[in-house]
Parts: sequence; structure tokens; C-alpha cells
Amino acid sequence: MSRTRSTTLAALTAGGLVLLAAPPAQAADTATVSVLHAVPGVPVDVYANGEELIPDFQPGTLTDEMSLPAGDYDLAIYPAGSDPASTTPAAKADDVSVPAGANATVVAHLTETGTPVLTPFVNDVSAVPAGQARVTVRHTAAAPAVDVRAGGTVVAPGLTNPQEATLEVPAGTISADVTLAGTTTVAIGPADLTLGEGTVTAVYAWGSADAGYQLAVQTLSGMDSAPSAVPGGSGGLTGDGLPLPLVALSGAGLVAAALAGRRLLGTRV
Amino acid sequence: MRAPAAVLVAGLALAVGVPTAWAATRPGPAAGPPVASVLSAPRTDADPADPAGAAPGVTARPAAPSAVAPVVPPVRLRLAGVDAPLDPVGVGPDGAMTLPEDVDRVGWYRFGPAPGADEGTAVLAGHVDDAEQGLGALAPLRELDAGAEVEVTDAAGAVTRWRVVSRELIEKRAVPLTALFQRAGPPRLVLLTCGGEFLPELRSYTDNVVVVAEPVS
Repeated sequence: MSRTRSTTLAALTAGGLVLLAAPPAQAADTATVSVLHAVPGVPVDVYANGEELIPDFQPGTLTDEMSLPAGDYDLAIYPAGSDPASTTPAAKADDVSVPAGANATVVAHLTETGTPVLTPFVNDVSAVPAGQARVTVRHTAAAPAVDVRAGGTVVAPGLTNPQEATLEVPAGTISADVTLAGTTTVAIGPADLTLGEGTVTAVYAWGSADAGYQLAVQTLSGMDSAPSAVPGGSGGLTGDGLPLPLVALSGAGLVAAALAGRRLLGTRV
Repeated sequence: MRAPAAVLVAGLALAVGVPTAWAATRPGPAAGPPVASVLSAPRTDADPADPAGAAPGVTARPAAPSAVAPVVPPVRLRLAGVDAPLDPVGVGPDGAMTLPEDVDRVGWYRFGPAPGADEGTAVLAGHVDDAEQGLGALAPLRELDAGAEVEVTDAAGAVTRWRVVSRELIEKRAVPLTALFQRAGPPRLVLLTCGGEFLPELRSYTDNVVVVAEPVS
């Protein structure tokens, strides 16, 4: 790790993660990053490039979105309060690439076999059509393949750790649960999930057989689109032309003038 | 004979005077500054995704599924010549805003903010008329003056008051829908209906009447 980057991140952490100084090539390029702790039972300290990013991070909690300089990060988690110099990290991920403009969620979770791991997921924050909601389901639990169901219907079949599936659905509240793949054996839920219009909701299945399985929810907003039109009338009663009665009145005046004119000419002859 | 001369003059006066007087007295297509300039007024909010200005340090919160507090919907719209019930509406399969079938009722765009929310634009829209039902509740919108007051009552009885800053007739394809339906930015109330020329072959109007109002503090 370069000294420059280390200094930068120290400044970042001290300054509430606002970019204060960065390698010149990346000065204007930031990414949005959130971190979710989905390893049951163990509070951790999260380190990025050797600097503490989040102290005493509790299982089942999610950070707000952070604006970080784009680049490659060496991420690691340690049991909360331990000295990283003399402790083996509970999990680490080196050279995690965070490109400019990306929106990512880094999840500390268990693999299918129960080993802690750090997985970066990229969130699709492109515009969502009016009336719709985007939902991404992510398998981050120490469990085999699962089916994710909404209202009893399988919407994401055969998901394995750490796969994800993304759908666009009409906005509203759904009742979601997770079953062992190909069965009706419910592993998690059901839980009511509010899928807000124009938002992206990431749903994480996490936990282990020993600690229990749960859902975690992350909502990203600001992807809403306006309706395509506002079609407000079909009668033609307010058209901007001269109203018919006035057309008739004006026409009557014209006729009267013509008749009078003809008579006037007739009397002169 | 003088009578035919008098009739000739009176007839001509009627023929020319009626359309002239109509044109002179009808409301203009706009009142107040252009809608686009009102909507582009500087935003006061910070980008919620940007933690600058927030407390230092990383904030974290429980990620368990939680119930979202329901929004209290607006139920009645009152302004000069309009006293109409409001229905929550969304979008149709074609992506266009849906409006109440009954032209005496007005739709509130339920995906956007409710009138009185801390930020963003609340949108109310209704049919100006219908071939069978006649004139709609929002027909008077096209004559609304800048400065006119608007009152919206919600289901809990709370009343928000607004003052019209701009009215404009805008060709439908040029209506700044993204700006009108924005969910961030200062609180505004937008009233929409149809106007302009009627195209009988399309059973549709060429324009939208767009009214922008700001809160009365």
C-alpha cells in the first residue's frame, strides 16, 4: 500500500469520509459505497487500506451511503477492539475495485460453508420506470441454494451464495420468504417488504443454521422517473378557438350587414 | 333610406366586434413567470447520498425489514372556481399518469410527495373535460391568475395553503415532466390539466395547462 493512499484515507476517516486529498488522477472521481454486516454474532472493526473505516460495527446493521474516491481498496474486518497489527483478520478482500460513479455495497457475510468473507456487490442505480420498483435479492447466508418467493410465487429460483437476482416489479408491498431450493420448506420469513416506487431495494438473506436466518434490507432512492404524459381531456369543450355561439353571433352580424348593403344598393339604383 | 345603412354598420360592428372583444377579454395563455424558470429555482437541499455536512463518522442503522410509515393522502382541493375531491393515482401501462375517470374528481400522484411534505413537488391533475361528462373540475385552471390561493386538505384534516406563482400553456411534448415531478428540492404544488387546441381526430388536446404554486408561509 502506498503512503499517499494511506494518508488520504486517514484524512477521509477524520473528515467524515469527505474527500480532502487524493491522488491527482482520481481527484474528481468518487463512488458511492455502503457496508452491511451480515456475519452473525460478531461485532467487527472494518478497515480500508489499513485505516479503520467503521469501528464496532454490529451484525445486522448497514451504513449510510458513503462517498469515497474511486480506486482499489484492500478491505479487512477484525473482531471489534482487536489490534490489526497483531490479529489475523476475520475476513479480507484485497484490490477491490471501486470505479468512479459506481454504487456498491460491501457485505461481510458467511460463505455457504460458514467462513466469513467480504463480497462487494454493484447496485443497479439506473432509472426505474414510473410506477415500478427494482428489487435485488442476494444470497449471503451459510446455506445451500434457495428460492426466493414473493406472495408465494418463486421469483428467484436456485440462488446460491453469493449470487444475486434483480427484478423490476410494480411498486408496493410484497410478502417475501426464502425456501430451500425446489422445496416449500421456508428458511426465512415471510416478511413484508415495501418496494417504494422509483427506488432500488436490495434484500439480503443472511445468517447460519446455528445463529438463525434473517433478511436485511437496503433501500436506495433517487432512481424515479416522471410519467410519460398527463392526458387530461377528451371533450373538446375548452378548445382555444372562438366559441360556437360567438361564431354564430358574428356570422349573424355579417349576414345582416350583407342584406342591408344589398338593400342600400337596390334603393340607389 | 337610413335604416339599411344603420343595419349595415351595426352588422359589420357585430361581425368584427364579437371576435375582437372575445380575443381581448379571454385570459392569456400564461400568468406569472415561465414555468421552466420557476422550476429551475436553486435547490436548497443537499444531496442525501452525499454525507458532506452530516455529522462526521460513518452512521449505521439496523437493516432488518421495517414498516414504512404510511403517508396521509390529500383528499380535497380548493381554489377559485374549484372544489374537488382528490383520489390517489399512479401510472397506466403506457407510463402516462392515470387520472380519475370522473371529471369532477382530481388525481394526486401518489408516487411523489403529498402536499405539505418537506421537499419535492406534489402533483395534482385532472381532466379538463370529457366527451360524455362535460367540463371537468379543473377547467377553471386555464384562467387562474398569479397570486391566486390554493388550499389542499389531507385525510387527517390538515390544510396546506399555496400561492400560484406561474401558469403556462405548454405544448405536450415540451412539458418539463421530469422537473414537474421532481421528488427533491423545495416544496411545490403543481396542478395539471389539458388545454390548447382540441384535435377531434385524436380526442386529445395539444397542450397541458401547468400551474405552479409555492407554500404560503
